[in-house]
Amino acid sequence: MRFSKWLCAIGIAFICVVYGAGTALAQGGVLRIPYLEDPKTADCQTQTISYLLPLNCFDRLVECITVGPGESKIVPGLAERWEISDDGRVYTFYLRKGVFFHHGTELTADDVVYTFDRMLDPNTRALNTDILDWVEGARERMDGKAIYTKGLEALDRYTVQITLRGPYAPFLAVMASPQASIYNREFTIKSGNRFGLTPETTSGTGPFVMKEYVLNDHLLLVANEDYYRGRPQVDEILVRITPDPETLRMLFEAGEIDIFDCDYAVSQIPYFTNHPKWKDYVASSPRVGIYYYSINQRIKPFDDVRVRKALQMAIDRKLILDELFYGKGHLENGIMPRGLICHNPDLPVIEYDPEKAKALLAQAGYPDGVEMEIAQVSGARQWLRINEVVQAMLREAGFKARIRQMDEAAFYATRSTGDLPSYVQVWSADFNDPDNFFYTFFAPKNTVARSFNYESQEVFDALEKGRSLSDQGERCELYRKLEQVIVQRDAAWVPLFSLEHVYVLQPRVKNFVAPWNGWSDMSYYGIRLED
Amino acid sequence: MATVPVLIGVSILIFVMLNIIPGDPVAVMMKERISPDVVEKVKAQMGLDDPLIVRYFRFIGGALRGDFGMSYKLNRPVSRLIMQAFPNTLALALAAALVSWLIGIPAGVLSALKPNTIIDRAFMGFSVAGISMPIFWSALLMQYLFALKLGWLPVSGFYGAKYLLMPAVALGWSAAGTIARLSRSSLLDVMQKDYIRTARAKGLSEVRVVVYHALKNALLPVVTVMAIQVASFLSGAVITESVFGIPGLGRLAVDAIRTRDMPLLEGSVLFATFLVVMGNAMADILYSTLDPRIRYGR
Repeated sequence: MRFSKWLCAIGIAFICVVYGAGTALAQGGVLRIPYLEDPKTADCQTQTISYLLPLNCFDRLVECITVGPGESKIVPGLAERWEISDDGRVYTFYLRKGVFFHHGTELTADDVVYTFDRMLDPNTRALNTDILDWVEGARERMDGKAIYTKGLEALDRYTVQITLRGPYAPFLAVMASPQASIYNREFTIKSGNRFGLTPETTSGTGPFVMKEYVLNDHLLLVANEDYYRGRPQVDEILVRITPDPETLRMLFEAGEIDIFDCDYAVSQIPYFTNHPKWKDYVASSPRVGIYYYSINQRIKPFDDVRVRKALQMAIDRKLILDELFYGKGHLENGIMPRGLICHNPDLPVIEYDPEKAKALLAQAGYPDGVEMEIAQVSGARQWLRINEVVQAMLREAGFKARIRQMDEAAFYATRSTGDLPSYVQVWSADFNDPDNFFYTFFAPKNTVARSFNYESQEVFDALEKGRSLSDQGERCELYRKLEQVIVQRDAAWVPLFSLEHVYVLQPRVKNFVAPWNGWSDMSYYGIRLED
Repeated sequence: MATVPVLIGVSILIFVMLNIIPGDPVAVMMKERISPDVVEKVKAQMGLDDPLIVRYFRFIGGALRGDFGMSYKLNRPVSRLIMQAFPNTLALALAAALVSWLIGIPAGVLSALKPNTIIDRAFMGFSVAGISMPIFWSALLMQYLFALKLGWLPVSGFYGAKYLLMPAVALGWSAAGTIARLSRSSLLDVMQKDYIRTARAKGLSEVRVVVYHALKNALLPVVTVMAIQVASFLSGAVITESVFGIPGLGRLAVDAIRTRDMPLLEGSVLFATFLVVMGNAMADILYSTLDPRIRYGR
């Protein structure tokens, strides 16, 4: 008898726990989007991975909007206009009046000063301080030698002036990036280190207000009725965190989510584009982003330019693009992909020629070929697919490549010390400027931290010069020349292609515009739902 | 009383192992948008530059006061993260345990009563399938059938009882096989005993013989396994949690390893260790309650 009593008790306990564990979420009028990984925080100063919350709950002084497939434009945001001094050092932003934070305070110039000073304050432990590196006094502030940032000043209630330590041409574009989202002084200080972690401690000026946040489970954002550009078209956004891509696809097909990002499962693109139900609801847009293989010049024999050139020639990029990505993209021959300002469509084409590659290897003193490694994060299927194909191609050209799978933390740690072998990756524009590509990969410390180890004073000098030029034509010329030096002359980088970003939508989703740069994160402000 | 040394040993082991394997919590936090200057500064600010031993004692000092520190990546107190995830894992574990008992025990009993018949084979085949099939596979099949094709159940998420059904079956089925096999062999053994013959000779019905005389004794070893199984569900249902999007302890711990989030990993592993130790203690207590001849500590 005792047995059955126990079973009863356990059963009752179980039912209580289950019903207490959660309540059903409301549906209807709600845009439902999936996310593989939790965004962790809405505070974009302290994370570099997810732009979902910054783009939907916050605004920036200026915004970069999508005006056509892969095309963008900088437009006024919280600042209705701005002036740049003739020497390119002083930026004066005139704020809109009557813009309110979600908790009800009006936006003022002091909030802007506070936001950027907070980013530089060492106590914030911000990860995005790079974007403010050019502000006068930023370095002193970061090193704890100053208690305020000299270059940030509120001239009056609605005017803010930012002074740079030298001219830095991409600054306006940088101000439109999600990391430059504007916070409220009083509210953010009050929230302390919980800022951005809960609905109660998150407040921006953006089109959506955070209402619920259950870590690793879901987020609920509701329309900001008082948004300065007008209320968004949808009432709510439900973000569901689902770490398994296969589950995600089933959620989409079962009608439980509204937008499926094919980046999560590239192999499903033909399925959706040929499916009678879905083929009319596929949206795609070019991506201002480039796929590439890195070459680590610290690892022999890749210090020899002939070996690097051979590697460039040994990869049949067209075949990868056609077979693995169903032809949805374009081959790239430089560093600046399509859609980026200064992109050069007339670069010499890197031909696929395994025989010539072999000859080059022989010339470099390796008639029997070269052994090499290709590194990747273990289990990352999207990279393994490419690496396996490339491994076979390289063998034809005399490179005996071994794929080394490492767990994520080991991969990034090894890379940051400059010791990672070649790897394939994609870089999408954070802001539409060549500096976001060149400086990121080829500046003195960055070339080590990304395991290129391409130490060229000529390149370092050109990068600094490019940042300070204000004439756009002159800058483009400089970057186009530099691109040829890096890719064609020194073969320090293996460009692959830029891909279309493909999404599948539920029929009820209208006004969907794929972001210009190809991010998975986007602002859902303009989307409408028809039920 | 063995709990404390076990916990200390485990805490040291995690600390040392996570420091031997390569990995950098700040670099993995920034991934593609890495900036060498920032990595250097933030590591210093987080105290990650200090020697291993200093960091360990800082951690253990906090842990003794019940403060496991802040998760590097999630920037939230570890204890709160664990307490938020635990109820979800507990619900999943209990539901899965229930499923495994409801399938496993009847299957084992019926097979034992009709050994080497078609019933025996069918039940044992079903249990073995459960043990052999990886959870991610059975989970996918169920999602496909019950959610996508039939539309009876939601694909994933965790907002109520019907969301729990598929994960509980996926996890419970895999454990049901062990229970079924164990109860079968144990019952077969008991049915040969003298007191069963006596009970039958008294003229008791076969049902009474099995339920009141045989089963209670036969299930003793099974109970031990059941308690340990619940503990293991609580500490390691990672795959089930990921596939069905349940924000539980397993996912928390795996994320912590992936991102070298030391405080979170220490916290979640120590908590899981504690649960396993408790599960074992529970098995001992149940055992001695069911069988009055067994008393510990004498």
